[in-house]
Amino acid sequence: MRSEDLIHRLSADLRPVRPARHPAAATALWLGVAAVVILLAVLVSGPRHDLAARLAAGFDLPQILAATATGILAAFAAFQLALPERDRRWALLPMPTVIAWLATMGWGCLQDLARLGPDSLRVGVSLPCLAFIVGLGVPLTFAMLWLARHAAWLRAGPVAALGGLSAAALASVGLSLIHHLDAAAMVLVWHGLSVMVLAGLASLLGPRVMRRGLAAP
Amino acid sequence: MSYGSAPASQFGMVRVTSGEAGTAAATERDARDLRWSRMMAAAQAGDGRAYEDLLRECLPLLRAICRARLRDATDAEDAVQDTLLTIHRARDSYNATRPFRPWLVAIAERRALDRVRSRGRRAGREVPVDAAGEVASHDPSVEAGLDAQRAAATLRGAVQDLPTAQRTALGLTKIEDLSLAEASRRSGMSVGALKVATHRAMGALRRRFGAGE
Repeated sequence: MRSEDLIHRLSADLRPVRPARHPAAATALWLGVAAVVILLAVLVSGPRHDLAARLAAGFDLPQILAATATGILAAFAAFQLALPERDRRWALLPMPTVIAWLATMGWGCLQDLARLGPDSLRVGVSLPCLAFIVGLGVPLTFAMLWLARHAAWLRAGPVAALGGLSAAALASVGLSLIHHLDAAAMVLVWHGLSVMVLAGLASLLGPRVMRRGLAAP
Repeated sequence: MSYGSAPASQFGMVRVTSGEAGTAAATERDARDLRWSRMMAAAQAGDGRAYEDLLRECLPLLRAICRARLRDATDAEDAVQDTLLTIHRARDSYNATRPFRPWLVAIAERRALDRVRSRGRRAGREVPVDAAGEVASHDPSVEAGLDAQRAAATLRGAVQDLPTAQRTALGLTKIEDLSLAEASRRSGMSVGALKVATHRAMGALRRRFGAGE
């Protein structure tokens, strides 16, 4: 087929589409959706009994702030990358907050080690953590894929991975508000594992979901 | 519907003879980008006529981008059509508040690079047999020629599969027939290393084609 004929075919049955939102507007919308979903999950599960005391003592605050910043910056980077003409280096935007997040958890481990000794680094199994982050993160990731569906044919993999990272980071914030995990090593392992699982799943399956289910033909 | 005046030159390739002419060319590009942007906004609203006009106007630019990446004309045109399909599928990713040309160029560059990569992968698996159509002639010389072409292609493939050092040594000492000193100077490898790599390359090729040591 000649390219001129292809153009004629594409134009013949053109359907209107809604132009993509500005990345800042899309991020604001995404954060609104995520906040409502996470708030509902927190209300249903009930906030942890010692939340106010721990936040006041400054135990969990740096970790929650770093996770929140990761969720915001990963979402903004995903919406930037979803636009074809934007520089691919936008993908690096959330890296400093990811490092800061890991650092806050690592610092917590060191504090526990100094306070409680080597027993504090013993990691048990906490499947509820994994289930909460993945269970909340998966629907949130779908919401992100829908909001960034215009990236389906260009940078679907990186956009989906950043979307999964954002969803997992925000779900981790929600988990910190309801679930009682005193040992920082447990937080590092189970929150970190859940985030990796979700971002990995999103980058592997997200492009297919976007192309088959969400993108306009 | 009018979207502004048509450009006098194709995709901004205007000869600049003075600062004034350069400014004029830039202004023309800006005006054309604005017009394309309006046409795309109309296309997003469902205006098929504006869409067709826009894609036809952009076609020379898309061809220029794809031909800069792909020497083969058929491959370049395939990349142009991949680009057109991507533009169509991702037309909601354009926002009329942003310039149009960078959006268009980014998509074309990406599809042309995809085609370059897939061509690279394909070339590794293909055996070019240009005279395949002449097999039906039953002429023994044509058959012999084809066999020679296949053998040469197989040998080229085998040489390509060698480790880099062995391939380099073989190419310089056996194919270009350079002296060891010259091959050493060209490759940066020592004479000893060249000898060992050439010996190993020859051994690998002999083993691959079933010849004795």
